[in-house]
Amino acid sequence: MNGMSAKYERLIDDLRQDFRPQREWGEGRGVFLVVGHFLVGVAAGAWLFGLLFAYLPGLLAGFVLAGLGGVAHLAFLGRPERFWKMARHMRTAWISRGFAGLTLFLVGAALYLPPLVLAAWPWSADSTLAWIGWAMAGAGMVILIVYMGFVYTASKGIPFWGSPLHPVLYMTYALRGGAAALLVEMAVLGPPGNDVLAALVKIWIGVTAVVIVLFALELQGALAGGNVAARRSVRELLAGRLALVFYGGTLLIGILVPAALVSGQLAPLGLGVLALVGLCSALGDFFMKYATIRAGVYLPLTLRRVRSG
Amino acid sequence: MNVMTPLRVDAGTRDEVLAPKDDVWVPSSCALCYGTCSILAHRVDGVVVKIEGNPDSVVGKGRLCGKGISGLMSHYDPNRLTRPLRRTNPNKGLNEDPRWKEITWDEALDEISAVLRKVRAEDSRKLVVQRTTTVTASRIPLQVFAAAFGTPNFSVSGGGQHCGNGAHLISGIMHASWSIVPDFEYCNYSIFFGASKGHSAGHASCSNMGKAADARVRGMKMVVVDPFCNFAAAKATEWVPLRVGTDAALALGMANVMVNDLGIYDGPYLQAKTNAPYLIGPDKLYVRDPDSKQPLVWDTRAGRARRFDEVAAADAALEGDFRVDGIACRPAFACLREHLRQFTPEWAEKVSGIPAATVHRLGKEFGTEARIGSTIVVEGVTLPYRPVAAIAFRGAQGHMNSLYNFYAVDLLNHLVGAADVVGGCLGFNPVCHGHPETGKLRYIPTAGPDGLMVTGMWMGYHYPYPIGEPRLPQNLGLQDLFVLGMTSPFLDSTDREEWWAQLDVPYRPEVMINFGANLVMSIANKDAVAASLAKYKFMVSFDLFLTETSNFADIVLPDCSYLQSVDSRANFPFIFSLPAGMGEWCWPMRQPVLPPDGEQRNFTQVLLDIVDRVGFRADYNVAYNASLNLQAPYRLVGDTPYTHEQICDIDLKNVFGPERGLDWFKTHGLIKWKKKPEEVYWRPFVDVRVPIYWEFLKPVGEKIAAITEPRGIKIPMEYYEPLPNFLPCRSHCCDKPGFDFYAFYYRDVVHTNSYTMENPWLDEAARLDPFSYTIAINAAEAEKRGLADGALVWVESETGRRVKGRLKLTEGIHPEGVGIAAMCGHWSDGMPVAKGKGVFFNDLLDIDWEHIAPTNNNLDLCVKVRVLPAEDVS
Amino acid sequence: MKWGMVIDLKRCIGCYGCQLACKAEHGTPPGVFFARVLKHEEGKYPTVRQLALPVLCNHCEDPPCVEACPTGASFKWEDDGIVDIDHDLCVGCRSCMMACPYTNRYFNDQPPQYYSQGMTAYEQARSARHEPNVVMKCNFCRDRVRSGKPPACVANCPTIARVFGDLDDPVSDVSRLIKERGGFTLHPEVGTGPSVYYLPP
Repeated sequence: MNGMSAKYERLIDDLRQDFRPQREWGEGRGVFLVVGHFLVGVAAGAWLFGLLFAYLPGLLAGFVLAGLGGVAHLAFLGRPERFWKMARHMRTAWISRGFAGLTLFLVGAALYLPPLVLAAWPWSADSTLAWIGWAMAGAGMVILIVYMGFVYTASKGIPFWGSPLHPVLYMTYALRGGAAALLVEMAVLGPPGNDVLAALVKIWIGVTAVVIVLFALELQGALAGGNVAARRSVRELLAGRLALVFYGGTLLIGILVPAALVSGQLAPLGLGVLALVGLCSALGDFFMKYATIRAGVYLPLTLRRVRSG
Repeated sequence: MNVMTPLRVDAGTRDEVLAPKDDVWVPSSCALCYGTCSILAHRVDGVVVKIEGNPDSVVGKGRLCGKGISGLMSHYDPNRLTRPLRRTNPNKGLNEDPRWKEITWDEALDEISAVLRKVRAEDSRKLVVQRTTTVTASRIPLQVFAAAFGTPNFSVSGGGQHCGNGAHLISGIMHASWSIVPDFEYCNYSIFFGASKGHSAGHASCSNMGKAADARVRGMKMVVVDPFCNFAAAKATEWVPLRVGTDAALALGMANVMVNDLGIYDGPYLQAKTNAPYLIGPDKLYVRDPDSKQPLVWDTRAGRARRFDEVAAADAALEGDFRVDGIACRPAFACLREHLRQFTPEWAEKVSGIPAATVHRLGKEFGTEARIGSTIVVEGVTLPYRPVAAIAFRGAQGHMNSLYNFYAVDLLNHLVGAADVVGGCLGFNPVCHGHPETGKLRYIPTAGPDGLMVTGMWMGYHYPYPIGEPRLPQNLGLQDLFVLGMTSPFLDSTDREEWWAQLDVPYRPEVMINFGANLVMSIANKDAVAASLAKYKFMVSFDLFLTETSNFADIVLPDCSYLQSVDSRANFPFIFSLPAGMGEWCWPMRQPVLPPDGEQRNFTQVLLDIVDRVGFRADYNVAYNASLNLQAPYRLVGDTPYTHEQICDIDLKNVFGPERGLDWFKTHGLIKWKKKPEEVYWRPFVDVRVPIYWEFLKPVGEKIAAITEPRGIKIPMEYYEPLPNFLPCRSHCCDKPGFDFYAFYYRDVVHTNSYTMENPWLDEAARLDPFSYTIAINAAEAEKRGLADGALVWVESETGRRVKGRLKLTEGIHPEGVGIAAMCGHWSDGMPVAKGKGVFFNDLLDIDWEHIAPTNNNLDLCVKVRVLPAEDVS
Repeated sequence: MKWGMVIDLKRCIGCYGCQLACKAEHGTPPGVFFARVLKHEEGKYPTVRQLALPVLCNHCEDPPCVEACPTGASFKWEDDGIVDIDHDLCVGCRSCMMACPYTNRYFNDQPPQYYSQGMTAYEQARSARHEPNVVMKCNFCRDRVRSGKPPACVANCPTIARVFGDLDDPVSDVSRLIKERGGFTLHPEVGTGPSVYYLPP
């Protein structure tokens, strides 16, 4: 209509509705934020399990995924050329802290990893520099695992994201993603040992169960909590704009298929099946984040609640 | 960011206005609607970067509605015309592409002048001159042009036919002004019938918004009678929904309750200021003194009938049966009182749907709060105090029953003496004692025939009173015949040719000069007006954009916008758009803030150029002298080719003295002086009467019938009775099954007339508004019919006309009402922002004798419709 | 000194004058509104009222947008309490848009023109000077205010529904109106401490 972009037209439409969905995160260029969050979460989890199981490919996956995640974040920003300014407000801003975490992680991993992979490297795996790198990466990893959910709870304009369970859920998702990543790697590259693989599978099952419980609690909280915007978000998720993504992506691909696969009922639990489990799980995590971010609906501006006291 | 403004200076533009590097606030006047609020335009380095109100001015008081603020985007619209255009496709039609070619001004003016010279030689009446009401300053130049050229055929297009013929006629007769408004400063109880004064665009709109808000906070009760709860009704203390077009029923019911049930009326006011005591005979006419022919009243002290002007008001009887020279007669008030008895609250409920108890209560509240007999002191002057006001505007009078609807509402004011007194219903500035230094601009109503008020100031073809003598019409609008009408639908009605033929109108329209009106949209359904326009041999249109109407022109001339124009009379007259009530008189003007773009020229100057080329400048100067009331040494002389600027300068000096010409006004922007209570609340000080019994209607109707009926045209005489009644519209009489809604339109606050929809800021605001571009329907009624919010529907009239749009379900509309905002639904490619937005209500309107008020020729603007789902391919 | 605003819903008629005066003052590009007018309908036929609710940045005491901003681009002036944006610092992460409970922040990523043919002279002078791809919002017309003029929306309102003044001053018009007419804020339960108060309709 008269040369205006589709985004503008949609904004006008949104502003007319009783409930306005947030679209800046998760739509258009905003998809990169979801991708970035997803990748960074998986990266931190992969690093954690890489450390726990002393599994180098896990660490490498963490580093690469974190790098890609960083690029995705840059692609998301309006002014990516100014990205370094995000270090300025760690005092209160979770994104700032996350940025610090990612920076620490990447720099740390860049210091720690090369001597483990390349024989001829200016400093050895035992050097102080490498240990500093290990510490930095470790600190970064912790920050990355922890910070993400808080970014959402700080978003006071979107009541659906305000549940106190949200940070815990995101931490759990980081673990799930990490486990999934390692499953795929072990399936492709060959496991370091069957007991490691079995432990990883058990961890994945456990974390998945926790994720399901937390997510269900969160939805229930949103429905029962009395906030109309939160309720509306749940409706969007379960019966609205995001239903297809939620049921198809988050539930089917992300939970039901890998659960069925990991039970061994569909096929024997070979490496190929485990790779599929990991991939589906990861994909499901992505869709979960994508769906909940896009289901976000702003607190409506109205006098109603105020006028009644 | 340092911006180099691209200055487009073409040959022939006046760039005296522009300094390359500047930062100035220029006082001028808005023209997004006829409210013409005063503005300050901020020009920085040759670009207007802000328009604000002018706090110095009374008109707007330094503030502007959304339209005024957005005006600069209308000005800078790249779709504006910049070159004269000539049609090369001789065929004219709604779907015909004119195939414009650009021409020079010389070519344009040569051709136009040649055509006009020819017409003037043959029969000057073949020219029709038309203007849009949006630009108040266009009135005199175009009226003068028509008068000097020698044609009586002048129209203000939709603006006149939709809201003028009723509102202005009665406001003129009863209040000597163009329109009526509550005295916001002092009124305690106002009742609005189909009006939005103070809540939307129009007369003194921005000033009224502030005043109405003050009144609201002060605690003034505002009852709004309207089928739709929006704008005024949205802020009402009480919203009274009613069946569309039945305002007279409520008003008459209230009048009956007051006068007959409760005995509330202002006797002394009626005796002194109305024709209530005039004796009425069995023929329904005045009983007159045989010698002087003056109406008689019954002198209770003398015990006999005497001339009204020789009897003390307190002695004139309001009731009683008398005999004068053997003729049984009684005072007009007695007739009115008895006539009102039939309008019981129960009757009113049947007609309007308003509960009888509400009718009774409103009548009681109004009558009680009127505080008949009380006085108040304002600035040291003791004045009658009647803090109630009943007002009406376009809504009430846009029906077959136009005259009675509006009059019945105003009658309420006169019954309690709340007319032009403190707190009551005020005309817009009916009296002015003139500028304190020069004495100019003084006007006061005077007593005319039968002592009835003749307004001191008017804007139209003929004064509302005394009513002209009907005669076989010499003008195409038949106003010579239908003397109560102002703007005529007969220029474009589908039956106009029959009328002209039957009334032996000796010529037909051939040439039209249109200033800015978009009549294809603004009058009625597009096909009717298109058919009319297509028959013109030659049409010139002054436009800002290529509109749906420009499409029928032979030559389109690119006009300057209000930011590029000078006008000495941006607002005047005071009866039109200066706020009523106490405060100050204010005369603002308009001056250019920016130079013309491309080949744009100011229309007033172009008219003068045409006048000179055709060769009737002498007549033009004479007409201007009369219109502007120019006195020596400022009279226009002979055939001197004064420019528009020179005339503006002369106009201002003539009124305000030699020191205050155009230059003075360019610096100051306006002139002000204080109003006096005797000017504002003039009614007690001026010895004039108004009719509460319209005795003159009957003879007028009979005279009209005497002319038309031998030619086979019947006049429904029930419309010419001297006392008001409720007469149904076509829609009220429709009983086609399935047609169970009354469609109507209403004034939006963001969109007014036809060109605001092209402004992208206003369009954006309208798109965000829940109602602006939608079809409003009662939620319960829609749900009953399975129609959902946002559904695409056809609204189809009983005659098969239809419009398409999306529904907005609302609780705030009468169950039988379907409401469409403004005049949207543009289709012209020349206005791409406006194109396709909103719904074109007027396409539902038929325009023929069946749908024209037989008294004042206002259009019947309500339509019986059905609402059907349309196929939604979105 | 804490700048605040009072909006009298009894006076407001929803004419969009504030929304448009603001747009004209700042030349906000398409998709960016510093001030808007919302409309709500209340009641059931025939007891209905239409409510016009003008909204703008509330310049909160405890602004979640300031807390959430990773670069400090969103900040609160200490001397007068106005919450502002440094458009040179903003990276366009839009987290402030999620943080604001009043959805009064807008992302400027549309071409600064309303007509398909390109920018008007006005837009070249005003709209084009804004930083692209950053977040924008009302700043109580800080420049106007510091030069002694009220914010554009306040100056223009035809019903004089908007009043601007110092909330810290107990005898200012805003303080007085809040006390006398029972001024309230939107969504007080969120606890951000808005500086924009409304008077009952």
